[in-house]
Amino acid sequence: MYSLGIDVGSVSTNLVLLDNNNNVVEKLYVRTRGKPMEAVQLVLSEIRKKYDSKQIYSAGTTGSGRMIASIQIGADIVKNEITAHAVAAIQTEKDVRTVLEIGGQDSKIIIIRDGVVTDFAMNTVCAAGTGSFLDRQAERLGIPIEEFGDHALKAAVPVRIAGRCAVFAESDMIHKQQLGYNTCDIIAGLCDALVRNYLSNVAKGKEILPKVIFQGGVAANSGIHRAFEKALNMPVIIPEHYDVMGALGAAILAREKVNRERAGTRFKGFSVSESSFKSKSFVCSGCSNQCEVVSVLENQQPVGYFGDRCGKYNQFTASATG
Amino acid sequence: MRVGIPKGLLYCKYHPFFETFFRGLGAEIVNSEDTSKNILNMGVKVCVDEACLPVKIYHGHAASIKDRCDLLVVPRIMQVHRNEYICPKFCGLPEMIVHSIPGMPPVTSAPLYMHSKKSLFQWCVSSGSAITRSRSRIRHAFELALKAQNSHKTGIMDQKDITVMLAGHPYIVYDAFLNMDIVNKLKAKGIGILTEEFAPCAASESQVKKLLKKPFWTFQRNLFGASAALYEQKKIHGIIYLSSFACGIDSVVIDLIRFHTGDFPMLVIKFDEHTGEAGVDTRLEAFTDMLERRVLNEDNRPTYGQCLYSRQNPV
Repeated sequence: MYSLGIDVGSVSTNLVLLDNNNNVVEKLYVRTRGKPMEAVQLVLSEIRKKYDSKQIYSAGTTGSGRMIASIQIGADIVKNEITAHAVAAIQTEKDVRTVLEIGGQDSKIIIIRDGVVTDFAMNTVCAAGTGSFLDRQAERLGIPIEEFGDHALKAAVPVRIAGRCAVFAESDMIHKQQLGYNTCDIIAGLCDALVRNYLSNVAKGKEILPKVIFQGGVAANSGIHRAFEKALNMPVIIPEHYDVMGALGAAILAREKVNRERAGTRFKGFSVSESSFKSKSFVCSGCSNQCEVVSVLENQQPVGYFGDRCGKYNQFTASATG
Repeated sequence: MRVGIPKGLLYCKYHPFFETFFRGLGAEIVNSEDTSKNILNMGVKVCVDEACLPVKIYHGHAASIKDRCDLLVVPRIMQVHRNEYICPKFCGLPEMIVHSIPGMPPVTSAPLYMHSKKSLFQWCVSSGSAITRSRSRIRHAFELALKAQNSHKTGIMDQKDITVMLAGHPYIVYDAFLNMDIVNKLKAKGIGILTEEFAPCAASESQVKKLLKKPFWTFQRNLFGASAALYEQKKIHGIIYLSSFACGIDSVVIDLIRFHTGDFPMLVIKFDEHTGEAGVDTRLEAFTDMLERRVLNEDNRPTYGQCLYSRQNPV
């Protein structure tokens, strides 16, 4: 029996399937492209080719799109990214004490002592220093994001780039580039700036002790990895499944919950990949808040609501997801 | 005479004074509605871009009632405690409002030193002059207003197995729209709440005395003193600090608290014009998950990698 985990992030949607010993047997990584429901259906239809719904013991969702995904698939547990990432990190490296995680829109640091999360921090309103910013710069320079890190490693003299704010960093990069600095040096400078910003902003005041592991989509970037090792002056481990750690954590938590409750899974089955999911938003005129309410329709039937402050609609969602 | 009182900024603390005073002079009070999307949109439209969110929202409140009143109360609050100031934006609030919002009715502009009865009375004479010249009527209304203000108490005290201090400027803590209804979100999670008003005064004072220098801002005195006192007395398991983006005072206060409390759990949530709640929900959920595990594990340190999500300790 397998446990399914789905992490619907701002940039990528990931799915993992774990066997009974929590080993990863399948993992999928697709781009969300602003359409979380389609991304979830896409990964489910892929996995459906090889597995049957009856083989699924439990299902969990995480990531910023976790609520909508849980309605779609019928999840046993819906968990925030911090907890999911921490669970996955501890499962992967038993004696981890620091988790650096940089995703599409969030960056976070999780401090773990004796296997328990003791502290964490996330970036505040600004998304400077996250994956989507790197994505955008790679696109601007015409370099595929996969090769971005390798360019950084080729740098001889990293150029100093302002890292405080994405807009400042971009204008600084453009100025340096127009002065004729080498692209590799600029990219390496950007990696250093991101890490500097991360350590002085997200990780400010946190005690970073080894083992340090680095996960999230940005961990694929060897330039950032090297910049972290240089700045921290200690080895930074990138786990094998660094890109799907959230989904891995969600799958573990889902199995735990089904084990605990002994009521079987709520998973609706892979057939949901064929359902037609639509969302419809409207402004509730019940009071002056004028909430923008979103209703999720599965085959034209509403299955969940979000966005209302008073709970008039999302009570329905709560009873559906437990 | 209709007197407009916008429900923004320190309204939550001082509204009984202003309302009772003008009602005592026979005026009709026009309040703005609770903060809503309309108010926010109006505020963002008229206010200067650099201001913080609470100031923008205040502009929205003022703009929403300006056509329905003959006098608008825009308190220029200079001081709440002797020798301390509050945020500089309050000192220039009447000018900001008058120059940003077209078609304003007359506004009150006299300064307010809330700790001084004399200054408060002078404010009443100046602001009440639009309604009456009679000193005795003003004096009478002033006494009623003081009484009403003195019996007005704010604060949340709801202690549970896990209790956090909800820290932040009052106009963020008590504006459910601005803070995305964080009070009810915590209640729904079964988390207890204490606010700065319920920190023991003497302990707060002694914490403030330990600072390198006397606080310049009252917000700093209140928030640092209360957080440090509640932390030292072990009345709370964590601090949730609500701050508006780009707040200069908070940039100092947050670090003062962090420096004092070391690795004690503290979650800082920054608010701006976002209305998507996913970011706040994620942080709150992760923070409460963490507190629950910390509390459950305090006496029973787990072996490596075991206790994060055991049966006794479900996530």
